[in-house]
Amino acid sequence: MAKTRILEILVGTFMAAGFVALFFLAMQVSNLSASAAGDGYSLTARFDNIGSLKTRAPVSMAGVRVGRVESIQYDQDTYQAVVTMRIDEGYDRIPSDTFANIFTAGLLGEQYVGLDPGGSPDYLRDGEQIEHTQSALVLEQMIGQFLFSKAEEVSQ
Amino acid sequence: MMNALARLGRLGLDSLARLGRAHLLLFGILGGLPSVLLRPRLLIAQIYGIGVLSVLIIVVSGLFVGMVLGLQGYYVLAQFGAAESLGVMVAASLVRELGPVVTALLFAGRAGSALTAEIGLMKATEQLSALEMMAVDPIRRILAPRFLGGFISMPLLAAMFSAVGVLGGYFVGVGLLGVDDGAFWSQMEAKIDFEEDIVNGVVKSVVFGVVVTWIALYEGFDATPTSSGVSQATTRTVVHSALAVLGMDFVLTALMFGD
Amino acid sequence: MGNGSSPSMPATAPDKAAQMPSAIGAKSGRPDPGGANPGIAPLVRIRGLRFSRAAHVVFDGIDVDIPRGRVTAIMGPSGTGKTTLLKLISGQLRPDAGTIEVDGEDVHALGTRALYRLRTRMGMLFQSGALLTELSVFENVAFPLREHARLPESLLRKLVLMKLEAVGLRGAAALMPSELSGGMSRRVALARAVALDPMMIMYDEPFTGQDPISMGVLVSLIRQLNDASRLTSIVVSHDVRETAGIADYIYLIANGQVVCHGTPRDIASERSSWVRQFMDGEPDGPVHFHYPCAPLAEDMLTRARRATRR
Repeated sequence: MAKTRILEILVGTFMAAGFVALFFLAMQVSNLSASAAGDGYSLTARFDNIGSLKTRAPVSMAGVRVGRVESIQYDQDTYQAVVTMRIDEGYDRIPSDTFANIFTAGLLGEQYVGLDPGGSPDYLRDGEQIEHTQSALVLEQMIGQFLFSKAEEVSQ
Repeated sequence: MMNALARLGRLGLDSLARLGRAHLLLFGILGGLPSVLLRPRLLIAQIYGIGVLSVLIIVVSGLFVGMVLGLQGYYVLAQFGAAESLGVMVAASLVRELGPVVTALLFAGRAGSALTAEIGLMKATEQLSALEMMAVDPIRRILAPRFLGGFISMPLLAAMFSAVGVLGGYFVGVGLLGVDDGAFWSQMEAKIDFEEDIVNGVVKSVVFGVVVTWIALYEGFDATPTSSGVSQATTRTVVHSALAVLGMDFVLTALMFGD
Repeated sequence: MGNGSSPSMPATAPDKAAQMPSAIGAKSGRPDPGGANPGIAPLVRIRGLRFSRAAHVVFDGIDVDIPRGRVTAIMGPSGTGKTTLLKLISGQLRPDAGTIEVDGEDVHALGTRALYRLRTRMGMLFQSGALLTELSVFENVAFPLREHARLPESLLRKLVLMKLEAVGLRGAAALMPSELSGGMSRRVALARAVALDPMMIMYDEPFTGQDPISMGVLVSLIRQLNDASRLTSIVVSHDVRETAGIADYIYLIANGQVVCHGTPRDIASERSSWVRQFMDGEPDGPVHFHYPCAPLAEDMLTRARRATRR
């Protein structure tokens, strides 16, 4: 009897340790603790070019992450990318004339959406669209322009 | 020439027959699972034999793998001035790949071979026949609890491996090489995604657990009931499990992280 | 369940007798249960049983009747498929042709559930004992009871100890199978086989590799169990003396055929040279010492030729 009891305790410890490990991975290692999944409200924005923006990329204001990119679609009529963002619940005072940019973290880093607040007293509500956007800076285009202008300088 | 062709054909048919037997056995085991849940004691004994006894090797291996990742990762990342990303690198490689795969390989070597040898010896010593004669279905009574034990143990073991590995990487990176403590964790937390990385890693380890346990049980159950037959079956378990795990890993990775 | 009609193949019976190693007396054709046990239908009735493994024919149409309440021995040289016969009777193997009826039920026509129910009424003692190595002696004997009967723990304990007492091993209840000698583990296995009070027990080579004392113990146990609990026993063995000593009826099987059957006295008075060689254990006779092969000189010559060619 004592033997089965020890066995049961050991197995119980094993199961608990396994779940603790899973919990550790979920809470400490991953972003599960940061993303309140499903809550909040969504905003859309239209960009001419989103570069390499991916779903689940961060949406930040003043460098603080306030939400995530939920989906990216292509609008065939306007030839634009439609980016749907889910903003966390607490951040409900984003002015309606806010400016959405696509930035790159570091020189070669991941792209994210940066929101620049405007001065409007009205705030954006669920499902509304951010009107002012600026497309991603595509590195190849920048290098191309840079080389082109250099070449012009040299030829002058 | 004809002889060689005939032999090739026979080999092919034999392989197909083995595949068929393995699947029939799997269906039998799956059919026996409900009866296992009615007798949790059998399951507990198997989780002990398969899971608890594998913890030590898994934890020690995980620690060392994590430490090596910390060391190697640091030297590579430091060249690009990105040593703060060490946590991301360690955690991503562990959670996505090394955790499930290395755990599955160790699991095959430690628990899989033991399962095959146990079942094979039970067959060789007529214990399985004796069970049948006592009107007890060995697939339900012997194989099904072991299958469920492997199914439950493997993801937990993989989680332990990854968690301990992250701690090992932390110990080396932050403790020894002086990576910033906060950056290590915050970067990791920002870049490792729960669904994409952790859940997929767990799915992988569940799949590997099922496959390895299945192979081990099949090889034991199908072993030639002699000592050499059992030893060959044990070898086959380890080899086939390793191949299956690595092959499945590629397929699963392509499916999960492909887009 | 069983249709009861025995497949009639009278035409083949004389042929079979003609193929026998030697001409055999009156008791060689169809089994004659009346001779062993008049008036009662046999417990096991085997008719026209054929079974082969790959190319090797193990049984080529045998008829066997096992009378109720008796000890029937099935004897024959090693490799004649005696163990296979037990596995066929218990439904672990499927015959190529022929029927096996146990207590009126055609074993191989039963579904899994019915077959398992039938097996709870059959016990089998394996050559090695086949105890479950992870369980203690007590738990081994308790195993079939725990699996098939929901008994309160106290009653179960009493039953198991009674069964162990019957084989004289109550004192070994706490031991593990690895701590038992060969003879002891066979006795434990016997206690386990009778745990569910079956109607018949099949013994697979119970005497092989036993010292004289444990052999004697087993012999008397088989007889006692049979008579005390009104069991039917089938003993498969090639230990002539011990088996002939306890059997009420004997079947001799060789080369896939029933060579001869009868009471031990009948067999003892049987004159056929094959039976005499087997029963008296003479090294050469109709069965040769050498495995069938080409003459020695021929074999060596071809080997030599092949070697030189290389």
